Amino acid sequence: MEFTRPLAELRSADAVEFGGKSANLGDLLSAGIPVPGGFAVGAGAFRAFVAETGLDGTIASALSRAPKGDVEAASAASKAIDEAMRFAPLPEAVREELARSYEALEGSPPVAVRSSALGEDSHDATFAGQQESFLWIRGVEQLCDAVRDCWVSLYTPRAIAYRAELGGREEAAMGVTVQEMVDAEVSGVMFTCNPVSGDPSMVAVNASWGLGIAVVGGETTPDDFLVSKVTGEVVRQTVNAKEIEYVPDPAGRGTVRREVPAERRERACLDEAGLAALVEAAGRIERHFGTHQDIEWALARGRSLPESLLVLQSRPVTAMKTDPPRLSQSAISLVLGTFGAAPRKDS
Amino acid sequence: MAAPTKTSSAFPSPYEIATPPGCEGWEEMYPYYTLFDERRRETDENRFWFWNSMHFPVPMPAFDVHCIDSPYQAVGEWQNRFFAVPPAMGIDYRIVNGYVYISGNPVTDPEKIGERVEYFQRRAGYYFENWEEIYAKWKTKMEALIAEITELPVPDLPEYEPDEVMLEDDRQTAFYELLSAYDRTLRCGDLMWQHHFELLLLGYGAYVTFSDFCKANLPDIPDQHIAQMVAGIDVLLFRPSAELRQLAKVAIDSGVDGAFVEGRSPAEIDAELEQSDAGKAWLEELEKIKDPWFNMATGDGLYHYYGSWYDDPTIAYASIVGHVRALNEGEEVERPTAELERERDRLAEEYGALLDEETRGAFTELLGLSRMVFPYVEEHKFYCDYWFLTRWWNKVREFGALLAKHGFLEDTEDVFQLGRHEVAQALDELVLTWATGGEPIGPKHWPPIVARRKELLEKLADWTPPPALGATPEAITDPMSIMLWGVTTQRVQEWASAEEGGGRLTGAAASPGVVEGKARVVIDVEQIAAVREGDVLVCPITSPAWAPIFSSVKAVVTDIGGVMSHAAIVCREYGLPAVVGTGRATAEIQTGQTVRVDGSTGVVTILE
Repeated sequence: MEFTRPLAELRSADAVEFGGKSANLGDLLSAGIPVPGGFAVGAGAFRAFVAETGLDGTIASALSRAPKGDVEAASAASKAIDEAMRFAPLPEAVREELARSYEALEGSPPVAVRSSALGEDSHDATFAGQQESFLWIRGVEQLCDAVRDCWVSLYTPRAIAYRAELGGREEAAMGVTVQEMVDAEVSGVMFTCNPVSGDPSMVAVNASWGLGIAVVGGETTPDDFLVSKVTGEVVRQTVNAKEIEYVPDPAGRGTVRREVPAERRERACLDEAGLAALVEAAGRIERHFGTHQDIEWALARGRSLPESLLVLQSRPVTAMKTDPPRLSQSAISLVLGTFGAAPRKDS
Repeated sequence: MAAPTKTSSAFPSPYEIATPPGCEGWEEMYPYYTLFDERRRETDENRFWFWNSMHFPVPMPAFDVHCIDSPYQAVGEWQNRFFAVPPAMGIDYRIVNGYVYISGNPVTDPEKIGERVEYFQRRAGYYFENWEEIYAKWKTKMEALIAEITELPVPDLPEYEPDEVMLEDDRQTAFYELLSAYDRTLRCGDLMWQHHFELLLLGYGAYVTFSDFCKANLPDIPDQHIAQMVAGIDVLLFRPSAELRQLAKVAIDSGVDGAFVEGRSPAEIDAELEQSDAGKAWLEELEKIKDPWFNMATGDGLYHYYGSWYDDPTIAYASIVGHVRALNEGEEVERPTAELERERDRLAEEYGALLDEETRGAFTELLGLSRMVFPYVEEHKFYCDYWFLTRWWNKVREFGALLAKHGFLEDTEDVFQLGRHEVAQALDELVLTWATGGEPIGPKHWPPIVARRKELLEKLADWTPPPALGATPEAITDPMSIMLWGVTTQRVQEWASAEEGGGRLTGAAASPGVVEGKARVVIDVEQIAAVREGDVLVCPITSPAWAPIFSSVKAVVTDIGGVMSHAAIVCREYGLPAVVGTGRATAEIQTGQTVRVDGSTGVVTILE
């Protein structure tokens, strides 16, 4: 049984087994987008885990006591499953394959371990609580624990309630993404359009010092750039005071939140070259997926462009404001409109 | 446009503008209908008037009022009586202290608007569908009109009529010929203005529509990209400059470039060239390009003192001097047309590709329409404002010379101090007394009037006109004000809230880049010679005729104009930062001050 697969070998269709996040990263890699290396853990590993440890029975009986709409029961079921699952050993075959895949990464680096919900619907994933993320994991032991912790998150009270709402049709299973950590000097989010105005010719970039959680979590006011895809001009730029940043904990596991030193606080954290590299990558990603994308990215410390730019995640832009288009009007009738002689509005 | 009471307006009442000291009686220079007259105070005071500094930056000489009347007759004619633009009739003007204020006449009755829509759609549709053909014919008729005004004889008054009066059936007498020639001169001017506006409204309209369409679908698109997609590569107006660059090359190749020393006058350069065969050969080359390319005006042609390069080759020669220097320093002075064309097509293609299919269809069609009308929008200036008008003013000068010869004026140029109807009166008296042999009173009547008016114009030039008068409008809806003058609701609000002397001016970001430099305020073209390498040019508006000096300035700031204005177009070509339409740069900035021009954000800061 294949429990893991290198990210570079995944394509969109593999979302069914390895989850949307892993499949998406594989897809990015296939398009030549620089993504930190890693591997995906398939749903098969989870299934082997619950089967071999006999947890499947425990889970089924706990869930049977949590009918639709009963919040307290869902909470109790969650607690029972969590307790049973938390210290259950991983099947030897799974453990071995995780170790092999991990050691195949160059230099046994610190990794990020994240849940990767099956299928493509990230909307469902949000509700199902499959958003776990464990950063700066080092070594096989920590890795195995983190993978299991991701699995446990399938049974948060909210996830249980959500699946109960769906009538229990949905099989509880998930993939896990294991990816090399990036020690980001600068990181942020960018959209392949201006999400505020809807302008498709712009890349909107938010950027701040350190790891991306500061921007994603809204803990800092990032620098804000609007860059033309067509000419690369920076059309608007707002440099904000960036008070805090996250950096890897020098002591080992995890991250540290700290104040940004005064001399960097009000300095733009991206220069023209950095923006140009981002806009170029945004264009490639947008072309690859054919829809507007919301992209997490980082510039790795100690490297220089273009090698320093890494894409961590790309999702379709969902809540895009679209004006009702001005359709089916000939150029001349539009011009007549300029002179106040538009054809009747109600037509 | 709304008509609030005058007390609520941010702008002064036109009836409460003080006459500058020593300028009492300025009104007598102008026709009665050009003034803010007490008898229509109730209407005029409740209208919104803005200073047309774009066309009339300095006080109007009496004769030049023809260049207000005739264009506004023509624009009103086409807009209101021919195309019947639904919400707008024509544009009224008034003169205050010598300066021209204008105000559109809206159509507010919905029934009337509906009636006009039908006319407009049919007629504008016809013009757009047949544009190329109409424009080709237009050029032919303009060239014929230019030939007519050039060749129109202004007969002298002989001691005795020649025998031809007896021998030729259609030969008229001199008095009749002279009066007819004057009348024809005025009518030729009217015809030019008629032609001028025949295509202009629709041309601007097409461009503005494309621009609005881009902004609706690509809300963050920089204005200059819109202009770049439309701008003509081979527009006629760039030819004069191209010819001068070519002449600079010829001068270097034939080894006579040493004559082109900075600071020398054209006469001094010519004198040196005359001394060698190679120099003479160069002068022959120059002669070859003069017609038509020396018909560029030295400024926007709405004042009589803007001659052509024929009349004053200073700009042309200064430009050649600059090109010679640049070429000798190894700089590229060629206009990179192939590159500009590639960039223009690349922008259009990339922006088009960003739009969904249906939007892209309208985008492509509108861009096509804009590109179709664009040559006219640019080139009409060469035909009308420069080529025709410089010759027309010279024709008027011939009448001035005649009046001067007969003692009615002290100098030929004084003719421009009389209104066109006053010139007609003077000519009437001249032919009358010439015919009767009696004593004319004209020589005693006109010279003191001329002297006083010259004095008035000089004093009025020191007065700073407010940007607007009368009622503050709630919104500007007049398509012409918006399209031709860039006077939008937002601009009016900025005027209304403008804090004097803030050291910071805003306008349209017309050409990107940031530079700092010494300001050179140039109100009219005669001051162009003072512009030095590296200056920041601050002017009311520039015309293509100024383009040659753009190769030596660092940045450009104008009072009036949008991103499609000539200053903007030329600056983008030269890669100079430009902020246009600041409203008051020439009033707030003084020559010698250090300013920072940010052509990317449209901000001009006075630093010291």
